[in-house]
Amino acid sequence: MRRRVVVLAVLAAILSVVAVAAVIFPDYFRLLRPSVLKQLDPRVVKLVNELPGVDRQNQELLGRLFALGGLAEAKEGPDGVMRVDVRAPKGELIWEPAIIVMPRSGELEVDLSNDDPYVHHAAIFPSNGDKQFVMLPIHSRGRARVTLDSPGYYWFDCPVGNHGGRGMLGLILVRGDVPAEARLDRPEQPRP
Amino acid sequence: MGPDRRRRSVRVGLCLLLAAGVLVACSEERRDYPLTEQGRDLGSLSGAAGSAPPVAAGVNFERILRARAEPQNWLTYYGAYDGQRYSSLDQISTGNVRDLRPAWTFQFGEFGIKAGEATYSFEAAPIVVDGVMYATAWDGWAFALNAETGQELWRYKHEIPVDTPLCCGNVNRGPAVANGKVFVTTPNAHLVALDAVNGRPVWKQVFGDVRAGESATLAPVVVKNLVVVGTSGAEFGILGHIDAYDLETGRRVWRRYNIPKPGEPGGETWPEKGEARNRGGGSAWITATYDPELDLMYWGTGNPSPDFDGSVRPGANLYTSSVVAIDPDDGAQRWHYQWTPHDLWDYDGNNENILVDLDGRKLLAHFDKNGYFFVLDRTNGQLVRVAPFVERLDWGEIDPSGKVSPRKVPTREGVDICPGPAGGKEWTHAAYSPKTRLFYVPTIESCANYRVEPVEFKEGLPYYGGEANTLPDHWGAVRAFDPSTGREVWEWRNDKPMVASVLATGGDLVFAGEPTGELNAYNARSGELLWQHQTGSGHHSNPVSYSVKGKQYIAVPVGWGGWVKGFAPGTLGVPRGAALMVFALP
Repeated sequence: MRRRVVVLAVLAAILSVVAVAAVIFPDYFRLLRPSVLKQLDPRVVKLVNELPGVDRQNQELLGRLFALGGLAEAKEGPDGVMRVDVRAPKGELIWEPAIIVMPRSGELEVDLSNDDPYVHHAAIFPSNGDKQFVMLPIHSRGRARVTLDSPGYYWFDCPVGNHGGRGMLGLILVRGDVPAEARLDRPEQPRP
Repeated sequence: MGPDRRRRSVRVGLCLLLAAGVLVACSEERRDYPLTEQGRDLGSLSGAAGSAPPVAAGVNFERILRARAEPQNWLTYYGAYDGQRYSSLDQISTGNVRDLRPAWTFQFGEFGIKAGEATYSFEAAPIVVDGVMYATAWDGWAFALNAETGQELWRYKHEIPVDTPLCCGNVNRGPAVANGKVFVTTPNAHLVALDAVNGRPVWKQVFGDVRAGESATLAPVVVKNLVVVGTSGAEFGILGHIDAYDLETGRRVWRRYNIPKPGEPGGETWPEKGEARNRGGGSAWITATYDPELDLMYWGTGNPSPDFDGSVRPGANLYTSSVVAIDPDDGAQRWHYQWTPHDLWDYDGNNENILVDLDGRKLLAHFDKNGYFFVLDRTNGQLVRVAPFVERLDWGEIDPSGKVSPRKVPTREGVDICPGPAGGKEWTHAAYSPKTRLFYVPTIESCANYRVEPVEFKEGLPYYGGEANTLPDHWGAVRAFDPSTGREVWEWRNDKPMVASVLATGGDLVFAGEPTGELNAYNARSGELLWQHQTGSGHHSNPVSYSVKGKQYIAVPVGWGGWVKGFAPGTLGVPRGAALMVFALP
């Protein structure tokens, strides 16, 4: 009887921890979906397993392997502009998130904050017309409005020192297709 | 431990966990600072003036038709619709060219990651209008400069996805200018009309599908009320096409595909069944020439797809590796001539079609990658003359009647064939001087090992059906040819291929750049090297000539790159560059 109580208590504790953790860290639990698990590339798993420090400053490498940071999807506002917040956290030399996803081509507004007391930052963003430059002194906030009109991926960077090389190199992923009138007059073709 | 105590411990543990979680979550909370910093154009932090004089407002079709009557300007890609790349300016001449020296340099060493990082190259033909120069560079950049001082007036950037499919290089060959606008194509196949005064977009159209492997590298051409462009991408199994847009509104007026559908003329040169036609290639990546009297545009077309495996596309594969004469009003084809039927060597047919009138005949001259110099009657496409213009040529023979007899074709095992896939002459253009009545041609003497490797077509993936690796022993020359006989008049040999466009001038000079950075001036009649200047990077562009306030200038974009592996692998290590250099007499 006593043994059964202990087992049940341990199980209850585990379930409680899992439930609490699922609320606090939902992204970890979403990784357990079958649709994600089946795409796990053993080479990528090996990188994270054997070199977990590539996602930290001055551990496996000198800086952080770029684009290993988080990802955020820009949300479209009623005015049709997509928006996303990006910050430079304290002492990490990273963008958070490092990957911005635009669901389609269009205008993107990036709200930037520099929470890093170690050093000032700046941002260079791709944009039709001209690249956009935003200065980011310590404990400051800035905003860039950019236009990207083609599916594919683009880069953004902190041009101060070698912050880009240390990890402040981010990506903007633009999803979608070219307009229908630009496509070739042929039947659907097989894709990889 | 009693049951109550155990229960209490579990509860305490859970609370601690929850508290820790909340603490972690709170510690990541964003701090809220006042919004003090706004994004601004990078160009606003430069010496750029921000605007250009409104000189382009007066450039229209009639002025471009008579471009040669205003030699102070370079109004269209080849200098004039005939494609001769000739400037009648003669202030700089054989007698004083030794005194030529740099007047100004525009440097554009931009930073950051770009598509085809190792292949970007400065290839443009700058357009000059009444003291203002308009140029494009790689990766969607365009500029207006003061043609006398080199001061940047404005710049425009079109953002290009890093993953844009490019077969050969992140390059652009220049803008077109008319009706107060600067027309620019981008590597992701957009056509942008910019306000020539401030560089801001007036309209934009997408004319290719990057997901299908389409891109764009060519300079647009303005004919009548239209701006006409074509796509690159036959290395990805696209369906090549040419598109025309209204100058003012950007509305697409017509599109023509270079691969005919079943039942259309030429459709019989493709397999009746299967998908070969739908992936047939035939891109159009070099600017057309135009005869206003005949009202015909002459477009070269690219290789069939896949490049080297012809087994999936039996037949001549019209209208690939050809010239097509088309009506600019509706894109209808009037005639065609196929330089390389059933091309298996990536010889394309895009090289320029230069229009000359000789002995009362309206002729079209074409130096093809396949190593043959063709002269056609441009009224009907009939062959007038054909002769080889390179020494290393063994892929096949073309007899005087135009009959093509292939001798060597790519195999599974691999075979050496000459010329290689860069051809006996690359896209870089020849020039014709109406003064000397000679053609000046940059040539390549190279061979490659061709190998067939059949692959299944997947949209967006390279679709070569094999490979061609250029062999290391390659060289080149600038050669002068007499079109009335087809004979070579002089030759200037170089230990590297000559892969920059040639410029001929009224001063009896011919200018051509070398892969190793030298810009050369030759005596147009003898080929004697009269002047040389080391520019610091290789030449793979289009030099032009113009004048401001009576002073003649020679302008040349310098920046080695492009498909170097194909046309001169022995120069892969030449320093890269990003300069527009302009020369004048003191």
